[in-house]
Amino acid sequence: MGNKQTIFTAQQLFDRYRDLAPQLVPLDYTNHPDVKLPYELIGSMPELKDNPFRQRIAEVFSEDGEGNMTLDDFLDMFSVLSEMAPRDLKASYAFKIYDFNNDDFICKSDLEKTLNRLTRNELTEDEVRMVCEKVIDEADLDNDGRLSLEDFQHMIVRAPDFLSTFHIRI
Amino acid sequence: VKEFVALSTRDRIRAIRDLAMSFEEKKHIRWVLTDKQLNLYCYTCNKLHSQSLRRCGYSIRSARQTLELWQGIMKEIGGKFGTSVLSYFLFLKWLLMFNIFSFLINFGFITIPLLVYDPSPNIPPNVSFRGLEILTGAGYFNYTVMYYGGYSNETLIGLVDYNMQLAYFFTIAVYMVLCGIALIFSMASSFKENYVLADTVSNSAWQLLCSWDFSITNERAVRQRKNNLRVQLKESLSERAQRELLTLSEKLKHFGVHLGSWLLSTGLAVGCGASIYYLYAANWSLLQEAETLLVPFVVSLMNLVVPLFYSLFNKFEHYSSLGRQIYALVVRNVLLKMSILAVLCYYWMNVVAEKFSCWESMVGQALYRLVIVDFLFLMLGSFFGEFLSNVIGTRLLPRLGVPEFDVARNVLELIYAQTLAWIGIYFSPLLPAIQILKFFILFYLKKVSLTQNCQPPRRTGRAAQMQTIFIALLFFPFFVGALSIVAYTAWRLTPSEQCGPFRGLNNTFSVVGVWIDDLQEIPASQWVVWIYQNVIRSEIFYFLITLIIIVIIYIFWQVTQGRKQLIGQLRQQIVNVSVLHP
Repeated sequence: MGNKQTIFTAQQLFDRYRDLAPQLVPLDYTNHPDVKLPYELIGSMPELKDNPFRQRIAEVFSEDGEGNMTLDDFLDMFSVLSEMAPRDLKASYAFKIYDFNNDDFICKSDLEKTLNRLTRNELTEDEVRMVCEKVIDEADLDNDGRLSLEDFQHMIVRAPDFLSTFHIRI
Repeated sequence: VKEFVALSTRDRIRAIRDLAMSFEEKKHIRWVLTDKQLNLYCYTCNKLHSQSLRRCGYSIRSARQTLELWQGIMKEIGGKFGTSVLSYFLFLKWLLMFNIFSFLINFGFITIPLLVYDPSPNIPPNVSFRGLEILTGAGYFNYTVMYYGGYSNETLIGLVDYNMQLAYFFTIAVYMVLCGIALIFSMASSFKENYVLADTVSNSAWQLLCSWDFSITNERAVRQRKNNLRVQLKESLSERAQRELLTLSEKLKHFGVHLGSWLLSTGLAVGCGASIYYLYAANWSLLQEAETLLVPFVVSLMNLVVPLFYSLFNKFEHYSSLGRQIYALVVRNVLLKMSILAVLCYYWMNVVAEKFSCWESMVGQALYRLVIVDFLFLMLGSFFGEFLSNVIGTRLLPRLGVPEFDVARNVLELIYAQTLAWIGIYFSPLLPAIQILKFFILFYLKKVSLTQNCQPPRRTGRAAQMQTIFIALLFFPFFVGALSIVAYTAWRLTPSEQCGPFRGLNNTFSVVGVWIDDLQEIPASQWVVWIYQNVIRSEIFYFLITLIIIVIIYIFWQVTQGRKQLIGQLRQQIVNVSVLHP
């Protein structure tokens, strides 16, 4: 239906990347220059600057895990976050974003950090604990106390809005 | 890792899963944005880019972007208000495309040949253009190509022999069929993506992990969303703490209130229909043209006011979930609009078709008036619904707060407006032009009203399911209803004798019969005649097709049941395995 919007080409994304730091990024990429834009520049993009997960997004998509992105990383990021990316791909990246300690599982502490980012630390400790327990109760299928990628994907399958909410328009 | 692009979807998913497991080598999975391969390392074109060329490239790109209609505005709305409000505007844009297509083919195939052949319309001498025609559609417009009556039934001799009757019939028929196919495909794909296995929204896990809208870019909107999420989480926690079972008397009371509101709302809908019938029957006069505006005025007033009553009933009822509440409201509104449309069509088909000589143009004018007055009332509704609520909510009664954009009500209004246009295409081929203008202005109006007066919705979720419901509603009952009205007109009603492309025939469909008879004399097109006589006119063919379709549906249904069972069994196996191997 009318949900599909324009497809942006690599050239347009390259122009956006270059606009962040015109003096660092050369116009000519035929020699594979090794240029990395620091996280501060990426995080200041208007599409990302108010997103509570911008740091995690940059870390997940960057090669060095610190948030400093090459052009490849930048293109990957906006490809996965575009509306054309398939659901499984988005789910696997969302899983990585929510997995703060990078151990391939979303454990209770990851959930607590997510919750605090999403509610500006305004819930009490008890409430945070209860919400996280409820989440693990509801989503953990194999009963190991933490969410694996399969549990997460099972949840995503039942959430049809996910494709449109995990989407950044550029 | 470009090789992933070449794999099929399933292999790609498997490969991605394998990669996700092995975190040591951070490989990149590239999803290609366009069909062309991402040729990163070959920006040879960049060597030529001087400053001025780049600037030129920018302006061309931004021009292309504005051609992609309203791209920037959609992004802004999505950024500030989220996906559910954006879905209204996307729906509006999608409906606009239907109308643009309809206008182009009607104008191209029906109106232009007539204008080329006979550029001056035959207007009687004492009728001139006064300003009132824009509102009433009668008078001067009655004799132009705006309505059915302005078209001739001859075969136009020019460069090519152009049969106006066949052109009129087939253009409208082909457009309706294409619309139906487009709607069915949208509905099916939306159903498949959004409806299958959908879970309840109040699920905590969903709220925490899946509901955050990454496309919101406005700082204030982000803060508001965080507040809303916090409030929702607190609510669901407290619900859990004090979930009490309702006693029998309370259940009975709720049931009674529900029954009462349903009876009241159905009664209101039927009452509106009956009053419009009596108003029409008592007040149909050609002479005073301004009086003909009375019925559209009353119709639009009802469409504006009665849904407010429904929202009021809603406040007194107790619903177990937000979804049920919205569905009940939507069903009641649909009932109201359907009853009004049914009464209007009944009156047109039965009374107007008998009474007047050029009745199709009359019906076309009535529809034109309905469309125009509906537009005026939509503007008024925006004023009252959003602007006044904002003023009341911020200055007079701060307790109410800033209003939210009611997506359901607005989408239903769009669906109703589009139904009027669909019914009107047969009687007034250029009505889509008015509709295009209407939707265009409406878009900007709603956008301004939204940004000035409304706040982002407080309860998130269900946007995808609501979208499916709206597309399904657009198709059935509204499109199917419009199609049946047009089909009934073409099949059963006698076209008027004095005007229009089908004068002199028994009914509109006989145009095809006449054409087939003509074709029988041409030996090269015997296959068309054969198809018509043995396939379209024979009952055995339809009987067989229906039987085959029923059998196929039954087989698919059984397959679905089997798969549901399999899913349940697999889920049980996962739990069992985890219990055995903790």
